[in-house]
Amino acid sequence: MVEVAGLRVVLPPAVVAVDGVDLVVRRGEFVIVLGPSGAGKTSLLRALNRLVEPAAGTVRIAGHAVTGAAPAALRAVRRQVGMIFQQFNLVRRLSVLDNVLAGRLGYVATLASVAGRFPERDRALARDCLAQVGLAHLASRRADTLSGGEQQRVAIARALAQAPSVILADEPTASLDPALTDTIMGTLRRINVERRLTLVVSQHQLATALAYATRIVGLRHGRVVFDGPPDAATPAVVERIYGGPTR
Amino acid sequence: MTRAATFVVLTALAWAAWDTGADPVRLLRGVPWLLDFVRRMLPPDPSVLPAALRGALTTAEIALLGTAAAAVLALPLGFVSARNVAAPPLFHPARIALNFLRSVDTLVYALVFVAAVGLGPFPGVLAVVAYTTTSLAKLYSEAIEGIERGPVDAIVATGATRLQVLRFGVLPQVLPLFLSYVLYRLETNIRAATVLGFVGAGGIGFYLQTYLRLIDYPAASTVLLVTVAMVTVVDAVSSRLRARLI
Repeated sequence: MVEVAGLRVVLPPAVVAVDGVDLVVRRGEFVIVLGPSGAGKTSLLRALNRLVEPAAGTVRIAGHAVTGAAPAALRAVRRQVGMIFQQFNLVRRLSVLDNVLAGRLGYVATLASVAGRFPERDRALARDCLAQVGLAHLASRRADTLSGGEQQRVAIARALAQAPSVILADEPTASLDPALTDTIMGTLRRINVERRLTLVVSQHQLATALAYATRIVGLRHGRVVFDGPPDAATPAVVERIYGGPTR
Repeated sequence: MTRAATFVVLTALAWAAWDTGADPVRLLRGVPWLLDFVRRMLPPDPSVLPAALRGALTTAEIALLGTAAAAVLALPLGFVSARNVAAPPLFHPARIALNFLRSVDTLVYALVFVAAVGLGPFPGVLAVVAYTTTSLAKLYSEAIEGIERGPVDAIVATGATRLQVLRFGVLPQVLPLFLSYVLYRLETNIRAATVLGFVGAGGIGFYLQTYLRLIDYPAASTVLLVTVAMVTVVDAVSSRLRARLI
């Protein structure tokens, strides 16, 4: 589903954030990219849909080239890749429903959508996605009036509205109260199981990775230092990822 | 460093004072004439009130129409001169053009447009549009440059087109600021439009200038009072609206 080869990301001025990553994610996997902060997790995820332009390497998603794709082709790939961010990244002043509807932008006509007109089936889909994260009752609220946990669930609904084949989630629980970690990760697992959706989630917390991943990819200094199921993540492996005793 | 700067500033100020003939004594000697001027303006002549009100209405119309047109015209200009959304080949010429055009004041534009389309309020409207478009475009572009990157990334990630990204990622963030700038410009344009009549571009300034030339000070003071009242009312309403926007 996701094929990465020789991926290298260099951030300005000259920081090598991702240093030659090869990775193949199969359909239905729940991959957690695990590593300490600064390991290159965010850069890796953002390079997968080219929110950052890789310096080298190739990315293919659902059989379509991401790297090297022309603008229209890139948009076509992006719309089937949902993305969830650490800071939720909702558009604060828009309603909750409009934020979820934004997930349909890749599918609807540009001019009609810019005028605020969305086909009824897209609206119905957006409402349905909102109901799936349990927030149907907040549809008309302004996004910035919601709590952090609610905002992240809206962001998940927005990703679902894209009818994606892959969801990328960059540290989705890092800005939330630890008590909410299970709510968000549990929602992601439900999506993974019920929809057979492929998930690539970055995490810096070992316990969370062990509890939810079907596969863990350990990242350190921009390189893959471990790739295997959670029960293969021995203390020695953990030390290789974090470079010291675990927390 | 600071001492050198202080010295340079003080020297410049002293030179400017000498060059402009700034002289406190001369001002003091003028005080009786000022008082005489004020005394002769009193009481205001109520018979010119209808004319003054009509002039005020025209001035308000010039400011309102000019600001509204400029608010729309400045939109595309604001986007192409924002560093974070415009392509560099568009951005640089747009910035240079804006800075160049913005250095010309409304009153100067009025002189040009009176020469082009003749006397009356219409060249006044055109002058307000010309100046306000460039100044709003500059303010718009700065608002756009100050947006949060995150929501924009999120919209880009959905596969949205450039226009959709602007509409859903950028516009909601900047719209309240834009409206607030437009209202602020409306306030300053009401003030600017009160003198457009001096150069034949319509409005209440025409009456003020006429009565001053006729040495009809009571009539001029009526016009002045109407001007002050109008500007005060517009300022109060507009700043209350702006406070609610932010």
